[in-house]
Amino acid sequence: GVFAHLEMLEARAYEAAVKQEETEQQEEKLARLKARVQELRLQRDELRAKVDLQQKGQLEKEGVVSDPAQPSARPVLEWKIKSVKAMLEVFYLTGISGKLTKRGVCFCISTAYQGTYLDSYYLDLLAKPQMQIHRHSVPIFIPLEQIAKKYLQTDIRRFLSVLSDHLNAYVGRRYQADQLQEHFSDQIEGTLQRNSLCNLLVFNYNVSSESKTFPFNARLLYGDLCRSLPTEVIVSCAPDAPASLAETAAAHSDLFRRGALHKAFRSFSSAEESGD
Amino acid sequence: MDETVAEYIRRTVLKIPRDEIKTMLQKWGFLSETQLQTINFHQIKENISQDVVQLCEENSADIKQAAVLDIIYNHIYPNKRVWSVYQMNKTGEETEFFDLTDFKKKFKRRLRSALKNVTINFREYEDNAVWIRIAWGTPYTKPNQYKTSYVVYHSQTPYVFISASVLKSNLPLLCQALVVASSYHDIREMELRSHSLNSLKDIVFKRYSQNFQTYYPRPLQERNVAPENADLRIIQENRSEKERIQRVNREVFGDGPQPKLEFAQYKLETMFKSDPKMDVLDKKEPFRCLVKFSSPHLLESLKSLAPAGMADAPLSPLLTCIPQKARNYFKIREKKGFFSGSFVSP
Repeated sequence: GVFAHLEMLEARAYEAAVKQEETEQQEEKLARLKARVQELRLQRDELRAKVDLQQKGQLEKEGVVSDPAQPSARPVLEWKIKSVKAMLEVFYLTGISGKLTKRGVCFCISTAYQGTYLDSYYLDLLAKPQMQIHRHSVPIFIPLEQIAKKYLQTDIRRFLSVLSDHLNAYVGRRYQADQLQEHFSDQIEGTLQRNSLCNLLVFNYNVSSESKTFPFNARLLYGDLCRSLPTEVIVSCAPDAPASLAETAAAHSDLFRRGALHKAFRSFSSAEESGD
Repeated sequence: MDETVAEYIRRTVLKIPRDEIKTMLQKWGFLSETQLQTINFHQIKENISQDVVQLCEENSADIKQAAVLDIIYNHIYPNKRVWSVYQMNKTGEETEFFDLTDFKKKFKRRLRSALKNVTINFREYEDNAVWIRIAWGTPYTKPNQYKTSYVVYHSQTPYVFISASVLKSNLPLLCQALVVASSYHDIREMELRSHSLNSLKDIVFKRYSQNFQTYYPRPLQERNVAPENADLRIIQENRSEKERIQRVNREVFGDGPQPKLEFAQYKLETMFKSDPKMDVLDKKEPFRCLVKFSSPHLLESLKSLAPAGMADAPLSPLLTCIPQKARNYFKIREKKGFFSGSFVSP
């Protein structure tokens, strides 16, 4: 009873004492290590200061840091990169640019119409076993296969030139039709009938003369796929229209044949404003 | 107004989601704005459709106008149908002018000369696409408006998109009429099918993003760059491998979104290659098997396989050639001759 209790208390006291000793030892150890860390830090700072002094001393002996007599490599390299990039941009702006690939060459044909840059189209060509088209992003209605069959094997310059003509003419025709729909939709009656290649445009438009409006019909056929101007233009007015309008129709037909479609519209709509 | 027309209009309106009914009726243009304002578009669809039929009765709608509403619905929801791609061939090199009125006239004439009982409707859209809706009858019965085929054709292209639904027997008739109307020689079905019409167009018109090597790259803001992990204690051990995978993936798939396909099917007729000691197959016959990949968006999931660590990069060309070869149904046979391995039939 009592003895057992006393023994138990004694055991507990012993354990507690042991624990306390352990923690005291640990704290001592920790304190020692901290002190050591402080020492080492001080040493490190001293050494750093010495190194700095030495470096400064060295520099003072040699003079100013950068030597103007020998230009450092970096600005020269930057200048070279800039001029190469400019050259590549010039090629890109000419409309046909390319990059050699592992198995051939990849061409980029950039198109434009009268100063406006439009889409770019890509051709990934393989050189072996013979010149062939691996992939491309040319629209399906451009006769790429026909042009390739004719020129790709024999004269690649001609191939690229003919393809570039087709693509530029196509985007030119498309641009004119888009401009017409965007800026002159109030003069167009109904829908502008066009097709994927934009080589046939049929539309009705209004012409005002002597404060009356007359409906005209225009049919533009672009027979040459490499040109952005029509090869055949038919402008007609209603049979009961006054005779003077026949002259206007002929004049319009001429305008459409010679210049950009939206510019023709701009010219005669402004002429109407200034005229009657 | 014909009973059947009224019922057809009613059922078409019921297909449209309630929020879209008003806009679609406006696009249709058959009912005037004042008439549309008399309809309460917040009631249940059953009632809305009854009101629409009532108004169509006042305007004496006929089957042609009802068909236009159906075309508009299918143009806005083309993904409810399965589309197949057909390719036409021609031998001549003359420039095509594609006159739309000419096309429509030739198509109708050709189709009607073979089968009188058809309803044919056309509708043109801004992207040079002509939508043709054909309701088929038989030599002795009127056209069944619920058995329709749809054709989408972009002028001056050799591709036609057809959603035939039922009645495969009328397909040759349809193909012939198309060939004649578009001034081509013949037509064949390509091994390319999907619910997403626009993705099929992207594939054959080459409108999907392909990665071409150029010195003049597209603006960098198009590429998504994940934010750098600011915690310097975390080091990517596999950084170079991850970058290699990204680079190879980008070369194969390009930067932009992929066309949406639901299946790729590979029919294998190749020999089973096993350890000769195991002697699994006694007969030296091709082991026929069909492998089908399906996904809500197959090409995007293939694109994410390597970065997710589930497949090695580069992926098998059998999977990555799908947009370029414009097909998702393949037959793989043994390559005869020197090299072992398989060869994909054209």
